[in-house]
Amino acid sequence: MKNFKLTYIAALSILLLLTACNKQLDLKPHQQIEQNQAILTSTDVQITLIGAYNRAGVADLYSGSIFLEADLLATQSVITWTGTYQELTQIVSQTIPNDNVFIADLWLAGYQVINQTNNVLANLDKVDAAEKDRVEGEAKFLRGMVYFDLVRLFGKAYNDGTPTTNLGVPIVLTPTKAIDASSQVARATVEDTYKQAIADLTDAKAKLPEDNSFFANKFAASAILARLYLQKGDYQNALTEANYVITTGPFELNSNYQDEFPNPAQVHVDNTPEDIFAIQVTPQQGTNSLNTYYASSDNSGRGDVVIRQAFLNSFEAGDERLNMYYLDGEDNRTSKFDNPYGNVHVVRLAEMYLIRAEGNLRRSSSIGASPASDINTIRERAGLDPLNTVDLAAIIAERRHELAFEGGFFLHDAKRLAQNVGALPYSSPKLVFPIPLREINANPNLKQNEGY
Amino acid sequence: MKKILLLFLLLFTVTAAICQTRVITGKVTDQKDGSPLPGVTVSVIESPTVGGQTDISGSFRLSVPANAKTLTFRFIGYKEARAQIEGTVINATLVSDPKQLTEVVVVGYGTQKRSNITGSISSISSKEIEGTPVTSIQQAIQGKSAGVLVQANNGKLGQGIKINVRGTASISAGTQPLIVLDGIVLNQTNISGVISAASDPLADINFNDIESVEILKDAAASAIYGARASNGVMLLTSKKGKAGKSKINFMAQWGSSKPSRRLKFLNSDQYIQILRRAAIGAGKLDFANQDPDNPDYATVDDAIAEEQDFVTSRLTRYSAGNTNFNAVNTNWESLAYQKAPQQQYDLNISGGNDKTTYYIGGQYLNQKGILNGNGFKRYSGRINLNTKVYTNLDVGMNLNFTSDLNNRLSSDNQFSTPLQIVALSPVTPVIDPRTGLLSGTLPGEASNYPVYYNPLISTANSYYNTTIYRTIGNIYANWQIIKNLSFRSEFGVDQTNQNEDSYYGRLTFRDTGTPNGSGQNTNNSIIHYTVNNYFNYKNTFATDHSLDVTLGTSYEYSHFVGNDVTGQQFPSDAYKQIASAAVISAGSSSQDEYSFVSYFAKANYAYKSKYLLSLSARTDASSRFGANNRYGFFPAASAGWILSNEDFLKQSNVVSNLKLKASYGLTGNAEIANYAALGLFSGDAGYNGAAGQRYFQIANPNLKWETTAQVDVGVEFGLFNNRFSGEFDYYRKNTRDLLLNVNIPGTSGISTQTQNLGKLYNQGVELTLSADVFVGKFKWTTSINAAYNKNIVTFVNGQILGTNDLNRVIEGQPIGVFYGREYAGVDPANGDALYYVNKKDADGNLDRSKTNDFNVAQNVVLGNPTPKYIGGFTNTFSYSGFDLSVTLQGAAGNKIFAGGGQYMSASASNGFDNQTVDQMSYWDKPGDITNVPEPRLFYGNGTNASSRYLSSGSYLRCKTVSLGYSIPKNVLAKVKLERARIFMNAYNLFLITKYKGWDPEVNADYQASNINLGVDFYSAPQPRTITFGVNIGL
Repeated sequence: MKNFKLTYIAALSILLLLTACNKQLDLKPHQQIEQNQAILTSTDVQITLIGAYNRAGVADLYSGSIFLEADLLATQSVITWTGTYQELTQIVSQTIPNDNVFIADLWLAGYQVINQTNNVLANLDKVDAAEKDRVEGEAKFLRGMVYFDLVRLFGKAYNDGTPTTNLGVPIVLTPTKAIDASSQVARATVEDTYKQAIADLTDAKAKLPEDNSFFANKFAASAILARLYLQKGDYQNALTEANYVITTGPFELNSNYQDEFPNPAQVHVDNTPEDIFAIQVTPQQGTNSLNTYYASSDNSGRGDVVIRQAFLNSFEAGDERLNMYYLDGEDNRTSKFDNPYGNVHVVRLAEMYLIRAEGNLRRSSSIGASPASDINTIRERAGLDPLNTVDLAAIIAERRHELAFEGGFFLHDAKRLAQNVGALPYSSPKLVFPIPLREINANPNLKQNEGY
Repeated sequence: MKKILLLFLLLFTVTAAICQTRVITGKVTDQKDGSPLPGVTVSVIESPTVGGQTDISGSFRLSVPANAKTLTFRFIGYKEARAQIEGTVINATLVSDPKQLTEVVVVGYGTQKRSNITGSISSISSKEIEGTPVTSIQQAIQGKSAGVLVQANNGKLGQGIKINVRGTASISAGTQPLIVLDGIVLNQTNISGVISAASDPLADINFNDIESVEILKDAAASAIYGARASNGVMLLTSKKGKAGKSKINFMAQWGSSKPSRRLKFLNSDQYIQILRRAAIGAGKLDFANQDPDNPDYATVDDAIAEEQDFVTSRLTRYSAGNTNFNAVNTNWESLAYQKAPQQQYDLNISGGNDKTTYYIGGQYLNQKGILNGNGFKRYSGRINLNTKVYTNLDVGMNLNFTSDLNNRLSSDNQFSTPLQIVALSPVTPVIDPRTGLLSGTLPGEASNYPVYYNPLISTANSYYNTTIYRTIGNIYANWQIIKNLSFRSEFGVDQTNQNEDSYYGRLTFRDTGTPNGSGQNTNNSIIHYTVNNYFNYKNTFATDHSLDVTLGTSYEYSHFVGNDVTGQQFPSDAYKQIASAAVISAGSSSQDEYSFVSYFAKANYAYKSKYLLSLSARTDASSRFGANNRYGFFPAASAGWILSNEDFLKQSNVVSNLKLKASYGLTGNAEIANYAALGLFSGDAGYNGAAGQRYFQIANPNLKWETTAQVDVGVEFGLFNNRFSGEFDYYRKNTRDLLLNVNIPGTSGISTQTQNLGKLYNQGVELTLSADVFVGKFKWTTSINAAYNKNIVTFVNGQILGTNDLNRVIEGQPIGVFYGREYAGVDPANGDALYYVNKKDADGNLDRSKTNDFNVAQNVVLGNPTPKYIGGFTNTFSYSGFDLSVTLQGAAGNKIFAGGGQYMSASASNGFDNQTVDQMSYWDKPGDITNVPEPRLFYGNGTNASSRYLSSGSYLRCKTVSLGYSIPKNVLAKVKLERARIFMNAYNLFLITKYKGWDPEVNADYQASNINLGVDFYSAPQPRTITFGVNIGL
């Protein structure tokens, strides 16, 4: 029997071998790190900032969709939509269901950038003194720009009714650590959202360096401010910012319009001298969604957007900007986005001339240059004769031709200028994106837009 | 195998009786062919403790007490025989009894007599699946087990196949049953790299090596697998050798497959007609929608004329520049398919002596899929070996190695998947007359010609080869410590090494967007260890009390390692490996781990073989769960009453078996992402060469198991000596603490968090009936199984979850319920698509008026994507050497969403896709009554996801037919063969359904998930396969 006892002991010890197993259970991921270990040093904050650019460059946002979707809502007389993504067809036909997935993704992508920048801003105390201002400025630049773009799409136009009561988007300024009742943020007013964007961009302008490689610099913040003030109808400030970029910044217009859209055998190209801020796209990272929808299949795109002849007819004869349009079989297309690894121009110098011209015209001033002089700078680059005098209509026409399909201006200009969009007035609720149903369901404090 | 197991168990129970007066010897043989039967239990009725077993030559030697009068001979798979003790030599012959084949059932960590089982277990024997001309075992068992839903996503080979046991018990976590082969948990992680569609990890297994499949359905049967048992457990047991003469078995079959169904699309004339009409519809709207202050068109006719010009220009383009548009009429659908031959060879050898037994099996299988370029090849080998080291210790191993080659295709939503070819215009010639090349091939008029990328170019210019090397094996030792106590230790490994090699040549440019070729190479490997150690104690006390106790531990560890590289710019299409790529455009590597530490125990008690009681429990801990909730406890209890062993039924000539049983227990589900409990940042957020990190996941340290409480009550019965038998079960599975990816406000920078939130239940009944209708020379056995399951989500905190068009999770509805706008047909006045408003007023009444504004119409419940009823019906006949087996299988009570309808059944309102023929009944003029709205090119009239694209998915299918002829023994004797059978197998011979798409057994592969169900999106039909073969035994 003694042997049997030994047997039991041996067998039981095999069982017990497996009892001290917590070590086997503490398995950590290999591709990720835990949140409380992620931001400890100055470098950690800076790589989080890089992550914010990465998020800003996702397909749903500044890789182009945020501009494309705005334009699609307002270009019925400019383009023929031949795409089959229902989500985009719904935008083109101005009947967007509140569960349109592309729009839900755009909202999510926007707040990913915001949360990412909030993670940077909450940890500024860890950043080396020499880098601190730059890091803060870049984070605020991205956050301010995103708030501005979200409020333009999800809120009523600033000039439509009362911005102090019209609803904008929720404002979140702290990084997410847990999900609780405080995560259910209500929408701020249009006014407050603009204020937040202005505060962020103004701070960014103050703290950013003048030269910052392809990242945001002082002038990028100033240029987005110029665009924002113009959208808001604050022409004096728009003019001031645009003039600042033109006179102080290192940018210059490309001698040829086409040089703004380089396409050397589908490889990444650095920013042009005219780019103030552009989202970088390389074969390794990022996508150019403008390429996806505008470029033909010969250039890696789907060729979903066909340009109507009527729009091309609106260009003056000899306008070199027409070189960026071509006949593909029987379809007119733009070749602006033919490089799938081309950067997405978020803001470029030509727009600053156009803003300064409009600001001066509306303020009857000639800060920096006269409106005619600025418009002629743009026209001469396009190979057109200068104009002696310009009026608002001439400036707007120049904007349409210069910036077509680049920044959602078909929608955003129509709104600030209170122009009809097709048969719809600029204030039609159909020209405002719905708050995504997913968000309404997840957050009872969100109020839906009119008409959805 | 079962014989062997029983032999192990009983070997040591042979006892020497105290009062020995006589020694009896004898031999037991098989009545069929006179071969000796080893391992037969011989015992004395009058003194049950006296008994022994036959040896390798079928002989036994027994000392029996003086009062002994009758011997019984019992052996699995044979009818019990009795013999009066007269003299000292008693020979017996046993008659095989097919009813008895499943008498011993494999259960979690052991085996159990069928009659003593109180849980719900379906068994499928090798006979029922052997030789089915399919790739995977799931396909072979489809329709053969009550309450087990098997559904392939589509007709591609080697693709993911859904198995649901008693409904879907989870919303965000896994829903496939745990699969255990010879005690080793199989890795079921999908490691399909580039193609978003899942591959099928069970395709690596040669199911002709499988002796039996046991499906553990209720908590009593499955709770011993604790945290992973909520979806049921599938136990696979491989074939083992038997002591005795070596047996050689060879099977070969050859055949081919065709699509089981085809669809009709418009011809050129119809296509031109509907597009012309669509231009008119669009022109009218162009005119109506223009800016009144700044109109583009003076009259509506101007607008229509512009649209007609546009259509003319496109028709010119799509007809390769030929202005005689209907000169060509291409049936593109027919070009998606290829000739699909298949061949399969199986050879196995088994045998052994009383010390060592072996089984060696090998297979070569080569199947072509019905879709262009699809194929599956498998080389498989198996060695199972068992040997006695000492009389009380045997060791062995089961080892399977497989090599597969799967020629895979793009997912259902890719332009390059063969069936998306149906979108191409019938006016487009297959060969572009301008270049003499396939339409859409560069150089030439490739720019947006044809309407989409031509998938035929991919067939000729790209490949995607998945090669898998998989080794599944275990080594074990069984130690009979003392008479009634044994200890088993097993160590198992399941290792998968997978390489995915793909190349897309320059001509696929329009699809890949990459000129000059691109390639990708992915290596993924998973190693999965299982260590089981357990004691088993089995004894009978005072003749009436039998007890069977198991106690043990288990440890599991799984480690995934993967890497991937993508290259572009190849010197020419002759170079296909990344070594030749001038640009390395992407590369990555990753690792993942998880572990389980478990303790388990079970006890089965029977009193007088009448009253049964079983208890089981398992404690599981896993790395996957939050630090605050790492351990889960899963107990189960069950009881049974065998009425037919009671005195009042024992003598009945009618009732041969009657058992009532009931069980209750808890099981868990742990199939979530490996690190779902942690708050994480991810380092994959670089920007133009600068490295970055991003916020990735929000923490939930309280994350724990999903728990299912299941109750099962059932009755088993057999009549007329079990000639007619059946089983009926009622069950209810209440699942709580659902592992749910809960939607959180997107303003947090993240969209979901995995939480334990939500409740659902599955409730249903299962019925299995079988009968030997005719016995004797002409044999007919029939077996029918049917199941009804009701699945309801009861609580998700009021959320509506879901990401695709219509599938949602809503409280009070089944998982994935179709929820959206209700289509109300077409306005006869103007051709607008209409929807029911379905808005609830203050009194709760639905507004049933119709609107043409999609946004005004409210979402309502439109149907259930999961069949409520599933079943199978198998009949086997045999007569003088001929045998025929037919299995019908069906599903009912579900709907299918034609996800491709917005393109292919869109009354030409969504582009130039070719349309299904039913679209020709479009609305044309006021007063037309139809369901197809006015064609309005690119205006999407009625193309939004709605009930317009829903239809019934009920079907009945002839799943398998097997017809064979066995050559008589006397003929075979002349050529020295034991057995020879020639046969014909048919798979998916016919289909009865009202569904209008390709196949009602469908779930578009790129999006299939727990919620995304019943969606058809250019998904290939199932193949109809017919093979001929031979089966030879030596």
